[in-house]
Amino acid sequence: MGLGALGLPQLVSTRVLGADGSPGASERLNLAHIGMGGMGGGHLGYMLARQSRGDLNVVALCDVDDNRLASALKSAGGKPTPYRDYRYVLERKDVDAVVIATPDHWHACQTVHACQSGKHVYVEKPACCTIEEGKAMVRAATGNRRIVQVGSQGRSQREAFLAHQYIANGMIGKVRKVTCWHYASPSDDHPVPDCEPPPELDWDLWLGPLPWRAYNPRYCPGSFRWMMESGGGQIRDRGAHVMSNALHFMDADHTGPVSIEAKGTLPTKGAWDTAIDMEVTYQFKNPDWTLVWAQPGEPVPYFDRDKVKREGIRESYGAVYHGDRDKLVVWVGDGQVYTELKAVNFKKPPGGVEVPHSPNFDHHQDWFEGIKTGRQTIMNIEAGAATAFLCVLGNLSLILGRKLNWDPVKQEIVGDAEGHRLMSRPQRFPYTL
Amino acid sequence: MKTPTLSTVTAAATLTTSALAADAGSVSELIAKIKSTDDQVRGPAWQSAASYGAPAVKPLAEVMATTDFEVARAAKRGLWKIVRHAGRQGADAERQAVAKELIDLLATTAAPVSRELLWMLSEIGDDSAVEPIAAQLANADVCEDARCALERIPGQAAVAALRKALDTAPEKFKYALANSLRVCGEQVDGYPSQKLVPTKQTSVKAG
Repeated sequence: MGLGALGLPQLVSTRVLGADGSPGASERLNLAHIGMGGMGGGHLGYMLARQSRGDLNVVALCDVDDNRLASALKSAGGKPTPYRDYRYVLERKDVDAVVIATPDHWHACQTVHACQSGKHVYVEKPACCTIEEGKAMVRAATGNRRIVQVGSQGRSQREAFLAHQYIANGMIGKVRKVTCWHYASPSDDHPVPDCEPPPELDWDLWLGPLPWRAYNPRYCPGSFRWMMESGGGQIRDRGAHVMSNALHFMDADHTGPVSIEAKGTLPTKGAWDTAIDMEVTYQFKNPDWTLVWAQPGEPVPYFDRDKVKREGIRESYGAVYHGDRDKLVVWVGDGQVYTELKAVNFKKPPGGVEVPHSPNFDHHQDWFEGIKTGRQTIMNIEAGAATAFLCVLGNLSLILGRKLNWDPVKQEIVGDAEGHRLMSRPQRFPYTL
Repeated sequence: MKTPTLSTVTAAATLTTSALAADAGSVSELIAKIKSTDDQVRGPAWQSAASYGAPAVKPLAEVMATTDFEVARAAKRGLWKIVRHAGRQGADAERQAVAKELIDLLATTAAPVSRELLWMLSEIGDDSAVEPIAAQLANADVCEDARCALERIPGQAAVAALRKALDTAPEKFKYALANSLRVCGEQVDGYPSQKLVPTKQTSVKAG
């Protein structure tokens, strides 16, 4: 009986292994990349290395900026087919999976459309910009039985596993509070007026589902991060790493806070409208614990200064897990995760709590194995949406200027009609979910 | 800055509109600060605008049309502060007063401003906003924003306006209207989703 008959993802059901047991050229996973900016380039480099080992084929590259696309195509040896419009990629029957590394405001549409087109998805974090987008992504993945891995790769790192194992085995007692720290968001101190977009950029397609606005050089490429609509600031960028780990370690992917209260300092000028400093308090119930996102918060220096220099540890963000017996510090949280030696050196006792980890502590490999076996990945879309909801709700509380109450079962804002409307954002046609 | 005459959260619903917000003098002072060329004056001014309420809506909308893009941006952000403050629970009278001011401006403001007003109404508008918003469906510059606003406003009035527009709108726009109706849970014959139809070709060539 094939995997398909079991109702599991059927990526290679009609394919056969080569004589040496490895996949032949026509049986390898056919992969397309959508979004060729900073993170997109990183993913492409990883996949090209795997392509060189015969694991997969990179068959298509897509970006709304022709210069970026041409550069990515060159780095891929000119062989993949280039596209501006991701929907051409989704039309291709030979594409098995897509890696989405576009600005945040595209993540939901492209993930939903890819799942509906039968593709598995690796999508950059944060998963979504609104609550309803996240719910739609979960529905699309489960309804189409596609494997969606969200790019909060901190969960897959070795020391994240060790920190998780230490906490899960009760070494710091019951955790009642997690406090994150992160450096502030930048401000646009040299604002410029709107103007015509550069000729290589398809501005309409870059905006996609967002409300129409004239182009401004401060909106993109990487600076989309500092626009509330498209990037959401540090809380939605690195919060989607640090708070992802918090939900994972607290076994809270399937729960959520009951209240969210934010305060922050907004820039006095410029295009960027995300908070410079910010503090958000999330209250969880049953079990009761508090999560605090703080920019800048109270940074904790990493204990080994030589290692900071040697390995380039980005200690300017992380989290402290406060148990009723002890505390544990986890630094960084994305492609880098570091924790204290007591957790690194901890030996799980016989019968101790097992916690999951990615194969070879490799986030992409976890995705591939999810595709192959149908099992949930470590940062599956439910977990990705749950993390993104924290980021989204923090920003909503900030812009509304009030505490929000959240029903974690129904996943909706309660007792605030305007807040409830802001759970979704109508999308510009035809770039709709 | 003068302290504006404000409502409180608990009492807002029972107060008259005139008692809900800032007096003319304090609004003028707010506007003067928002027009400042110094962002250290302008910034704190728009950030403190939330409680100025309905009397500040039109003056701020006027400043939004100014050619100094930083001043216009400050006015826009100040107006958003007012809208979001007015949308809080228990402040229906204040919300309605602010929404009315936004509605009154819709027909007379240029697209960059009315586009913002439509999105503001998408957050705090009710049935009384539906007809004026629906009128903007015929305005090619902002029809998408008007459609989105109607999609977001709950209730049958907005749905009815979208359905009425589906009968009369230009053929190309009907696909967008049909999409909104489907988002609202309505069944629509024809005009299928265009979301997976590719349209944009790149000039970059493989090889």
